[in-house]
Amino acid sequence: MTYQNEKKNKRKQKLHSLIHHPYFGFIIIVFLMFFVQLIRLLGVEVSVSILRAFGSTMIFTIVALGFSILLGYGGLASLGTAGFVGLGAYTLVYFTNIVPLPIFLTVLIVIVGAIILGTVVGFISLRIEGMYLAIITLGLSEILNEVFKRATNITGGTTGVNIDGIILFKNIVSVNHNVVFVIISIILFIIMILTLNIMKSPTGRALLAMRNSSSAAQAMGVSIFKYRLLAFIVTTVYAMLAGVLYMTYWSFTIPSTWTLAFSLNILVAVVVGGSQSIYGIILGTFMIFGLDLAVFKQIDFFVANPGITIVMNGILIIVVVMFYPGGLIKLVNALGIKLKKIFMNWIKKWKEFKYGIDS
Amino acid sequence: MITTEGFWKSIILFTLLLAVIFIILRFTVLKRFKNMEKTMNITTNIMLAIGVTYLLYRVYHALPEGAETFLFLNIIFNSIVQICVLALSTTAIVLIFKTSTTANFSQGMIATVGAFVAAKVIAHLVSVYTEMGSTLVVLIAMIVGALTAFSLGVLIDVFIIRKAKFPTPIGKQMITMGLVLVFTGLIPIIFGTLPLIVNKLSYADNIKFTINDFPYSITVHAFYALLITIGLLVVLFSLLRFTKWGLGVRATASNELVASMMGVNTRVITAMSWGIAGLLGGVAAVILAPNSGSIQVGIMLPTQVNGFLAAILGSFSSFAGPLIASLFIPILTNLMSLIATTWQNAIVYIIILVIVLIKPSGLFGKPTAKKV
Repeated sequence: MTYQNEKKNKRKQKLHSLIHHPYFGFIIIVFLMFFVQLIRLLGVEVSVSILRAFGSTMIFTIVALGFSILLGYGGLASLGTAGFVGLGAYTLVYFTNIVPLPIFLTVLIVIVGAIILGTVVGFISLRIEGMYLAIITLGLSEILNEVFKRATNITGGTTGVNIDGIILFKNIVSVNHNVVFVIISIILFIIMILTLNIMKSPTGRALLAMRNSSSAAQAMGVSIFKYRLLAFIVTTVYAMLAGVLYMTYWSFTIPSTWTLAFSLNILVAVVVGGSQSIYGIILGTFMIFGLDLAVFKQIDFFVANPGITIVMNGILIIVVVMFYPGGLIKLVNALGIKLKKIFMNWIKKWKEFKYGIDS
Repeated sequence: MITTEGFWKSIILFTLLLAVIFIILRFTVLKRFKNMEKTMNITTNIMLAIGVTYLLYRVYHALPEGAETFLFLNIIFNSIVQICVLALSTTAIVLIFKTSTTANFSQGMIATVGAFVAAKVIAHLVSVYTEMGSTLVVLIAMIVGALTAFSLGVLIDVFIIRKAKFPTPIGKQMITMGLVLVFTGLIPIIFGTLPLIVNKLSYADNIKFTINDFPYSITVHAFYALLITIGLLVVLFSLLRFTKWGLGVRATASNELVASMMGVNTRVITAMSWGIAGLLGGVAAVILAPNSGSIQVGIMLPTQVNGFLAAILGSFSSFAGPLIASLFIPILTNLMSLIATTWQNAIVYIIILVIVLIKPSGLFGKPTAKKV
C-alpha cells in the first residue's frame, strides 16, 4: 500500500468516525433548524406557520424526551405531563409579571421546584403502579389545572395571560422570535446529548432492567427507590423547562392548553415515534404537534376542512400502534434496509452487465 | 358557624394528628402483633373512617346554623344527575378495564357520538311527529343513541382492538386515544356545525316534598334519570351475577388466557363488554347533554376524568366499589363548593389523592400480590 493510499484511508476513517459519532445526527437536526431561520433572514419566504411548527416541535420534543426516559426506559406511564409543563409556563409568568426576577434565576427556581415536584411524584410511584399511577398523575395534573384556572390574579383565569417579554437583568426585554428560536434549538441540542448520555449510561441500563421486571432488577441490586425518583425528576425538570421555553416563545398561555389532551399527545408522540429512540421521538413529536401547522395548513383543501387533519392524525396513530408497535422509527429503519438491499442489487446487476458473470 | 380559615386549619391539623398517631402505633403496638399486615390494614381503614367522618362533621358545622340538614340533603338531591352520569360512565370504564385490561379514553367520545345521534333523532321526531309527548321523544332518542354507541363499541373492538398485532395494555390505550382524535374530527363533519339540542326528559313541575318541615324539590328530569340509571345498573349487575355472560366476564377479568382455554368465548365477551360500555355511556351522555344547552364535542371529558378517579378510588377489582365512589365524588364536590367556592374540584382531587396514597388498591379493593 502506498503512502498516499494510506493517507486517503485515514481520511476516510476520520469521516466515517465523524458520521457515526452519536452526536452527528443531533448536529444535523440543529443545523437544519438554523438553516430554516437563515434562509428566512436571507429573504426566502418561509411562512410563519412552518417556523412556529418547528418551534413547538422542538419545545415539545424536550418534554417528550423526558417522557421517554420515564416510559421507554423506566416503564412508568404518567399522565401528569400537562400539569408540569403548565406549571413551568406559569412560573415564568409569575416571575415576570408579579415578582420581577432575571430569567436565569427563574430557570434556577424552576429546576429546583421541578426536582421537588419530581421527588414527590416519585414517592407516589413507589406505592402505586401501572394504570393506577397514570390515573393518579392525571389527578395531579387536574389539580394543577384547577389552580391555573382559579388563581386568577396570577394566571388570568380561563381567558389566559400574556407576558410582554422576559427580564434579562432588570427590565423587561421584548422577545425576538428568531433569537428565541435559535436559543431553543441550542437548548434542544444540549438536552438531546444529556438524554443520550442518560440512556446509554448505567443509569439507563438500570432503568431498562427495572422496566422489564422490577423484582429481577431489585434482585440484581438495582435500587428501585433511587431510579424511580431519578426518572421522575428528569421528566419533571425537562417538562418544566419546556414550559418556560414555551412561554418565552409564545408569550401567551391559557389553562385549556394544559389538559388531559396535551398529556395524551405527548404519550402518543413518544409511543408512535418509538419510545427508546431519540430520532423516533423527534419524528413522533413532529407528527403530532408540527405536521398540522407545517404541512396541512399550506394546502387549501385542509384549511377549508380542519376536521380532516385531526381525523388523519388519529388514523395514523391507530395504524402505527396496530401494525408497528416499535414505533415509526422501526418502520423508517426497515425501509432504509430494504432500499439499501435494492440499491446493492442494482449495483450487482450493473457489474454483471459490465464485466460479465463469474463462472 | 366557623370561618373557612378555621375550617381548613382544623382539617389539616386533624390529618397531621392522625398521621402521627398512625406512625406511633406502627412502631409501638402494631409491631408486636403476629399478623402484622392484616392489623395494619384494619388500622388504616379505621383511621380513614375517622378522618372522613371528621371531615363531614366539620363540613356540617361550617354550614349556616339551623339549616345544616336542609343544605346537606338539598345538595344530595341536586347532584342526582351528576351521580347518575358518573355512575354509568364509571361502570362502563370498569367493565372495559376488566375485560380488555386497558383504560378506555374513548369512552366519553363514543358516548358523545350517541348523544349527537340522539339529538338528530329528536330534531327529526319533533318535526315529523308533532303530537308525540316530549318524554317519549327523548326516550326514543335515548334508545337510538345508546344503540348507536353500543354498535360503535362492538365495531371498535372487533375491527380495531382485536386486529392489533401485538396488543399490550399501553398499545390499546394508545389506540383509544387515536379514536378520540378521529371522533373529535369526524363529529363536526358528520353532524354539521349547527348547534344540536337534547331536551330534558321532562319539563314538568319539580317533585316537591317536605322532610322535618323543610321543603325539598327534585326536577322530574333528575327523577327519570335516577330511575333509568338504577334500572340499567340493576339489569347489568344481575346479568353479571346470574348469567353465563357474567360468569364469562368474571372469568376473563381474572385471567383471559385460562378463561379461553376453559371454553369461554373471550372474543364475544370482550365485544359485548365494549358494546355495553358504549350503551351505558350513550345513556349517560343523553342525560347530561341538556345541562349545557347545545351539545359540544367535549361534554363528557370532565365526567370521564372523574370516572377514572372514581374507578381508582373504589378499586378496579370490584364493580360495587367504583359505584360507591361515584356517589361520593359529586356529593363531596357540591359540599365543598359551599365552603370554598371555585376551589371545590381541586380540593376533592386532593382528598382522593390522599386516600389513594393511603390505600393504593382503592377503598374497597384487596391488595393484590404480584407473582414474580
